[in-house]
Amino acid sequence: MPISQKTLNSGDVLMFKTVNQRVSIVLLLIAALYLIIAYQIPSYPYTEVDADVIPKTLGWLLVLLSASLFFLKDSDSEEQKERRKIPKKEIGVLLVVAGFILVYIALLEIIGFVLVTGLFIFFCSWFLGYKKYITNAIVSILFPIIMYLMFTELLKLSLPSGILPF
Amino acid sequence: MGSLEGIITGFQTAFSIEAIFFVLLGVFAGTIIGMLPGLGPISAIAVMIPMTFGMDASIALIMMAGVYYGAIFGGSTSSILLNAPGVSGTVATAFDGYPMAQQGKAGKALAIAAISSFVGGTVSVILLMLLAPALSSVAISFGPPAYFALMVLGLTAIASLSEGSTIKALISAVAGFMVVTIGIDPQTGTQRFTFGNINLLEGLDFLVIALGLFALAEVCSLVLNRKDESIKNAHNIGSLKLGKKDFKEMSGPMSRHSILGFILGVLPGAGATIASFIAYITEKKISKKPEEFGKGSVKGLAAPETANNAATSGAFVPLLSLGIPGSGTTAVMLGAFLVLGVQPGPMLMTDRPEIFWGIIASMYIGNIFLLILNLPLIPYFAKILKIPRPLLISLVIMFSMIGVYAISFNTFDLYMLLLFGVIGFIMRLFAFPAPPFILAFILGGMLEQSFRQSLTISNGSLMIFITNPISLALLIISLLSFVIPIIQQLRKTKQRG
Repeated sequence: MPISQKTLNSGDVLMFKTVNQRVSIVLLLIAALYLIIAYQIPSYPYTEVDADVIPKTLGWLLVLLSASLFFLKDSDSEEQKERRKIPKKEIGVLLVVAGFILVYIALLEIIGFVLVTGLFIFFCSWFLGYKKYITNAIVSILFPIIMYLMFTELLKLSLPSGILPF
Repeated sequence: MGSLEGIITGFQTAFSIEAIFFVLLGVFAGTIIGMLPGLGPISAIAVMIPMTFGMDASIALIMMAGVYYGAIFGGSTSSILLNAPGVSGTVATAFDGYPMAQQGKAGKALAIAAISSFVGGTVSVILLMLLAPALSSVAISFGPPAYFALMVLGLTAIASLSEGSTIKALISAVAGFMVVTIGIDPQTGTQRFTFGNINLLEGLDFLVIALGLFALAEVCSLVLNRKDESIKNAHNIGSLKLGKKDFKEMSGPMSRHSILGFILGVLPGAGATIASFIAYITEKKISKKPEEFGKGSVKGLAAPETANNAATSGAFVPLLSLGIPGSGTTAVMLGAFLVLGVQPGPMLMTDRPEIFWGIIASMYIGNIFLLILNLPLIPYFAKILKIPRPLLISLVIMFSMIGVYAISFNTFDLYMLLLFGVIGFIMRLFAFPAPPFILAFILGGMLEQSFRQSLTISNGSLMIFITNPISLALLIISLLSFVIPIIQQLRKTKQRG
């Protein structure tokens, strides 16, 4: 038993280190990608400091900082670990909400602001567990109409009217 | 135009019927958004920006300033009633405000918060009136090297003062700067990181970043905590009356932290959060009865509430007179200025006195409105907290979408908004602070410009940053501001290892 406990502990320490290290590896990859593109920025002859100077500096700074993150041990507190423990079901909920948003964006200019906004509010609130259908329906009807009128009449900005006649 | 004339113009602007109406609207919206769980001044300002389209710039900015300090004011309500600060600047408010509410004295706590916020807000506006013009006249002689160094200091200060790891904060700042390099380089016309996409030629709009990293990322947390029932346990507000003894106890912390909070607000990187914590700690240290702190002490509540509002006005000093924000929130404020075509900086006071002095003068009115809104009306306002979470989530998402769409009328930006919402959420999970990101994003363009202008002046020699005394001093301070915390962190690591 003592042996297994010991391995568990060192396993903990290993896990502890790997969170920051995994993040730093991802950041290094991003930095590398950014640098590759930065080195392809075409040069412009008539300037003291060309367009690629700052991007290259930033890329290397990120390399440096991610490398430092790799070697830092204690910046991940218990509270942060706790925060990352999201139940699988909740990740699903977040993905569905993101899906709703994607559908909203895709349909916004096709079926119009008022309809798609109303539908979004009603279904998103319903999906997240709001059971008062009547209140939900009233908000879903009033909010987009008020917003639409405010933008088109008061601010003179046209929002997509879509398939509705007004 | 003389300074006195400028001040008169400003007061005339601020006291016009239109301005008074929009100040009221601004502080009202700010209070409500600031009160909502999780939504702070950054989301409040970002959500309100589209409302200003087509408005006169001075009136619009007077309103936006009202949104900002209104949100700080409103944040205290949810701290006291729910122990759930809407804004990081009001975390310290909950230390004594929530215990007081638990003792059935929520009304008293709200009244103390409202009065100390009012005093802190008003005293600091007087200081703002004195300091901002002085700094403007100094800054007018600053060349590109000094500006460059000033912005570097702003970024390193916010990185070293933000919560958690300094390295993560610096990474966040570098990432924000990287995102702003997307688009056509304004100096040479070269396309950078556009991947041939025409939507990226002008770069990403700051509202996409601000609403994504703050409002949408907050939505993710709201979704995860949507079954939170704390509001049902909220206490009855009770009487709002304060006794003579309370006022006597409040007077000390209020006078001290109006000034101290203001100074901390002026300094880059500090702002309302740090000012409120320092105020709380100082007050506890000098108190004769430190054991009362954390159990509903009047002083422990008055101190952070005075300080965070004082710091909010203090933060306007560098924003108005240098054009350089010192915090994430003022960075978004700067974004609001730029959207309206106003460039704050040393010239603002002389070129646009109606804006410079108008904003400052309007703060007197705004603070009075906030006192009225918060004292007698607070029991009615507090009902906003009862808005069902699912509905709140849907509405926040919609406000963010409308805000971005109204700027570009382009669904590409909405996809980007969603992307930055996801990035913001991932950053939260791995404890990368978002304020350095938004500050770097907003300063990035100016920072690059001043860097390249400096090198053009010096024919490419980096020595210009060292030979210029102002830039040398600022760069040394900024180097120390992040080297010291990193060394401390490394020492801690060594000790533990």
